[in-house]
Amino acid sequence: MNNPLTSSTSISRFNFKFAFIIFALVFIGLINLYSATHSLNLGHNTQLFWKQLVWVFIGWGIFLSATFLDYDFFKRFAYPFYFFNVIALVCVKLFGHTALGAQRWIDLGFFMWQPSETAKISVAIVLAKIFCDKSYPNGLGVKDLFLPAIVTLIPFVLTLKQPDLGTSLLIIGIAASMIIFIRVKWSILIFVLVTGVLATPLLWNFGLKSYQKDRVKTFLNPGSDPRGKGYNSIQSKVAVGSGRLLGKGFRKGTQSQLEFIPERHSDFIYSVLSEEHGFIGSLFALGLFAILFFTSLRISYEARDKFGALLVIGIFSFVFFHTFINIGMVIGILPIVGMPLPLLSYGGSSMMTIMLGLGLISSVSYHRFLF
Amino acid sequence: MSSIIHNSQNQTKEYSRRYLLFYIATSVLISILIFRLWHLQIVSGEQLKTFSEKNSLKKTRVAAPRGLILDRDKNLLINNLSGFMVTISPQYTSNLNDLATALEPILKIEKSEIITKVKKSRRRNGPFLPVPIKKNLSREDVYKLKRLRVDYSGLEIEETQLRNYLLGENGAQLFGFVRQISKDEIKKFSKRYKNLNFEPGDIIGKKGLELSSESTLKGVNGADFIEVDARGRKTYKSSSKFLNMEPKPPVPGNSLVLTLDKDIQEAAYKAFQREDWVGNRVGSILVMKNTGEILAWVSTPSFDPNNFSTGISSKLWSELTNHPHRPLRNRVIQDHYSPGSTMKPLIALAALQEKIVGPYTKMYSPGSYTLGNATFHDSHREGHGNINIMEAIEGSSNVFFYKVGQTLGIDRIHRYAKLFDMGEKTNLNIGYEVPGRIPSREWKKKALGEVWTPGETLVTAIGQGFVLTTALQMAKAYNIIAQDGIVYKPYLVKQILDHNNNVVKTFEPEIITDITQPTEDRDTYIKKEYFKYVQKGMRDVFHGDKGTATWYKIKNFEMAGKTGTTQVKRFSSKNIYKSCKERPPKYRHHGWFVGYAPFKDPEITIAVLAEHSCSGALGGAGPFKDIVLAYLEKYKPDVFLKTQNIKKVGANSQ
Repeated sequence: MNNPLTSSTSISRFNFKFAFIIFALVFIGLINLYSATHSLNLGHNTQLFWKQLVWVFIGWGIFLSATFLDYDFFKRFAYPFYFFNVIALVCVKLFGHTALGAQRWIDLGFFMWQPSETAKISVAIVLAKIFCDKSYPNGLGVKDLFLPAIVTLIPFVLTLKQPDLGTSLLIIGIAASMIIFIRVKWSILIFVLVTGVLATPLLWNFGLKSYQKDRVKTFLNPGSDPRGKGYNSIQSKVAVGSGRLLGKGFRKGTQSQLEFIPERHSDFIYSVLSEEHGFIGSLFALGLFAILFFTSLRISYEARDKFGALLVIGIFSFVFFHTFINIGMVIGILPIVGMPLPLLSYGGSSMMTIMLGLGLISSVSYHRFLF
Repeated sequence: MSSIIHNSQNQTKEYSRRYLLFYIATSVLISILIFRLWHLQIVSGEQLKTFSEKNSLKKTRVAAPRGLILDRDKNLLINNLSGFMVTISPQYTSNLNDLATALEPILKIEKSEIITKVKKSRRRNGPFLPVPIKKNLSREDVYKLKRLRVDYSGLEIEETQLRNYLLGENGAQLFGFVRQISKDEIKKFSKRYKNLNFEPGDIIGKKGLELSSESTLKGVNGADFIEVDARGRKTYKSSSKFLNMEPKPPVPGNSLVLTLDKDIQEAAYKAFQREDWVGNRVGSILVMKNTGEILAWVSTPSFDPNNFSTGISSKLWSELTNHPHRPLRNRVIQDHYSPGSTMKPLIALAALQEKIVGPYTKMYSPGSYTLGNATFHDSHREGHGNINIMEAIEGSSNVFFYKVGQTLGIDRIHRYAKLFDMGEKTNLNIGYEVPGRIPSREWKKKALGEVWTPGETLVTAIGQGFVLTTALQMAKAYNIIAQDGIVYKPYLVKQILDHNNNVVKTFEPEIITDITQPTEDRDTYIKKEYFKYVQKGMRDVFHGDKGTATWYKIKNFEMAGKTGTTQVKRFSSKNIYKSCKERPPKYRHHGWFVGYAPFKDPEITIAVLAEHSCSGALGGAGPFKDIVLAYLEKYKPDVFLKTQNIKKVGANSQ
C-alpha cells in the first residue's frame, strides 16, 4: 500500500482499515440496538432491529458504490446536487411530512428522504469545489468568503426554519471547519468571534423556540425544572454512571430496560452502551470513533488533489460534530439536541447519509493515485 | 498529468500544519469525553449505580379525569367514579399460570380468560404495560389481592377512574361509551387532535358524544415521580424529594352542559314502557325545544354503557352485536323510515302556497283513488266524504292528498320538502347520520335508471314509497311548522365548562332561515298566513271529532300533531284492511307521531317512531302525551294540575 507502483490492483487500493472500523462500529451498534429495543414499549419491538439491519445493508451498498465511483463525479456535479438539495429543502417546508412538530421528510414511497441530512454533504462538496481551484497564500479574505457564505447560509436558514436547530448549526460547523482549514485572515476570525458573542443575547431572545431555550436552561441547571424537563438529562447520566467499569451486562441495564431513558434506541443509544458495557465498553466504542477520525484526516492528507482533501475535511467535521455532540449530550456536558450518533443510533436517514459521507472519504482514499 | 500530482501534493504539504491543528483539536475534544466518562463511571459510578438500583425514580403518567357531562340544569349525567383495579405486568410475572389460578376464585374470572388477556396485551403493547384484569374491585377483593401480591410479582392494585353513566341504558347511544386507547388509536387520535397528547392507558370516547367531544372531554395527563425497585415495582411515592422534581398535577378535561333535560329524558325513556303498547318497544324519540335545543333523545332497545367502562366481556359484546334489534344503533339519526302521513302537513303547506286548494276548498275524498289502471286505497275503506284541507289532516285522508299531490307534481313536492331540510343531514356531529331521502326525477334516474311515474308521485304525497326520514328530521320540520316558518338549528351542547366550572364557551339558539320569505338563493317560500290552517288541522288530530289521536288528548290543554303509519310490507287489497294486531309482529306497520305543545305559543316539538306498533296513534301518540305531561309537570305546574283526571274520549285509532 505504501508503494504507489505496486498498489495498482483495484482491491489493494481499497482502504480496508477504514472499512473495518466502520464495520466494527456498525456491528456494535446492531448488538446494542438489539438490547435497547428488547424491552421497548412501543410495540413491534424487534421490528426496529430488523429494519436497522436492512438500513445497514443498504448503507454498505451506498458506501461501496461511493468508494468505487471517482469522487471527481461529485466535483463536476457539485452545483446541480446542491441546487437539487436546496429545492428539496424548500419543498419539505411546503409539503413535507411533519414529525414532532418539525417538517423534515419527503416521502419517496420506499423511503422517507430527509433533505436536511444530505444538505450537510452537499454543502461540504460545494465548498470543496469553490476552495479547491484557487490558492490563498494570505488566508481567506472578505471577498473570498462571499460566495461560500451564501452557499452555507441558504441551507442554514432553510433548516433553521424547519425548525431543526441542530442541523443548521452543524452546517455552519462544517463550513467553519473547512474555512479554518484553508486558513482565514485573523481580522475576520476575530470579527466573527466578537459578533458571535454580541449576537448571542439577540439570538436567545428572538431566534430560539421556547423548547430550544428550555433545553439549554435545563442543561445549565438540570434540577431547576419542576416539570421535569431535566429528567432525560439526569436519567441519562445515571445510566452511564451506573455502568461503572465493566457495565451491568448485555440486556441487563436497568435504566434503559426499565425505560428511564427516553429515545434510547435513537438519540440516547450511547447511554445503553455505557450502562451495559461500562467504562471499558464506552471507551472501546469511542476509541473506534477516534481511529475513524484520525484515519479520515490521514486520507485527507494523502488525497490526490485539493478537492479531495477538502471534501474529506468537510465530511470529517460532519461526522465528528455528530459524534461529539451526541456523546456530549448523553454524558451531560452538552445540552440535549436531537442529533443521532453516527452508525450506532437507529434510523435509516442517518445511517444512509453517514455511509454516503464515509463512502466519499473512502473514495478519496481509493482514488488517491491517478493510475 | 505528473505536474498536477506534483502541484497538488505540494499544496497538500502546505497544509501539514493545519492537519496538526485538526489532530490536536480532535484529540482534545475526545479526551474531554473520556475524562467525563471516567468521572461519571469510575469516580461517581458506585453512587450512581446505587441510585439506579435502589432509588430509581421513574416518571409516571397521572391520568387526567375525563370531563363530566351534565344536563341543562347541571344535573350529572356522566361522571367518574374512583375505584381500584387489578393489573398484571407481563414483564415481572414469573408464572402467569399460577397467578391466574390464584386470581380465578377471587375475581371470578376464568383462568383462561386472564391468560389470554395478558398474552394478547403483551403481544400488542409490549411486556411493560400493565394489563387491567378487573376494574371495579370490591373492598374485600382489594384486601385479598393485597395479601396475594406478596407471593406473586407482577400483580399490582391501582387506583382508577371509572366512567359512570348515571342514566344507565337511557340515552346510551347518544352518550356513547369509553374504552382504553389501543396502540393504533394512539396514532390515529394524535393525528386527528394535533394539540392533544394520547398515552397508553388513556381512556377515550368510542361512540356518540364521548367520541365526538373527545377534544373537550380529554384532560391533560400529569406526571409524577415514583420510586421503583430494581424489578420495576413501586416502592413508595416520592414527590419533590429528588432534585426539586415536583409532580405535575393532571388537568381534568372540560365538562359539557347539554341542552338535554334529565327529567324529560327519563320521561321519554319511560314513555316507551307504556302498558297499552302494541309495538315491540323498538324505536326512537326526539324532544326538541322550540329554539332547537334537544331536550331528550331516546333510542330503544338500549345497552348499559357502564359495562364498557369496566371492560366489556366478549360474551356481552357478541350479545349486543348479534341482538336482532341492534341496541348499539342510534335510531334517532342512524335509521330512516318512511314518514307516512306525518308528511301530509308539509304537502298541505305546499298545496296552499301553490294555490292548488284554498284553505276551505272542499274536495270529495272517497275510499280509493284510481290512476290509470292502478287503485290507491285510503286507510278508511268508506272514505272521508267532502272535506277541506284541515279536515284532511285531522282525519288523515289519503285520497285528498293523492289528488293534491298529483296536481303539485313530484318536482314541487321535492322542492317544498327540501324547504324543511327533509332528506338532509342535520350535522349534529355525533357520529354516523343517515341523510334520509326525498325522491325526485333526477334521483330515480340516477339511482334506479328509471323514469318517474305518476303513481309514485301519489305515494310520495302521503309519505310512502321512496321517502325516508329520521326522527330528528321530523322533529326539526314540525318545529318549523310550530314556529310559523322560523328554522332553528337543532343542537345538543349548551355550554362548555372548565374543571373549575368557569364557562369556556356558550352556545345560543341559532335561526338558520325563515321560510316565509324568499332569499337570494331560494325562491321557494310559504306565506306565513297558511301555517295557521295546517296548525288547525294538526290541533284537530287531538281535538276534532274525527281526529286520529283523540284518544290521547289531555284535559284542559291544547296541542297539535300528526299520526303516521307506514307499511313495512305490501299487502294485497284483500288483506289491506285486516287487523294489524292479527299479523306477526315483523309485518306490522311502523307508527309515527310528530307534534308540538302547547298549541298556542308552542314550546316543545316531539317526534316518536315506534317500530311495528300497527299505527301512529297506537305507537306514537301515547308516548307523545306522556312526554307533554312530564314537560307540563316540570315547567308549567299550574297547567299540569288542570290537566289531571285525564278524560278518555272514544277511540278512533286511525
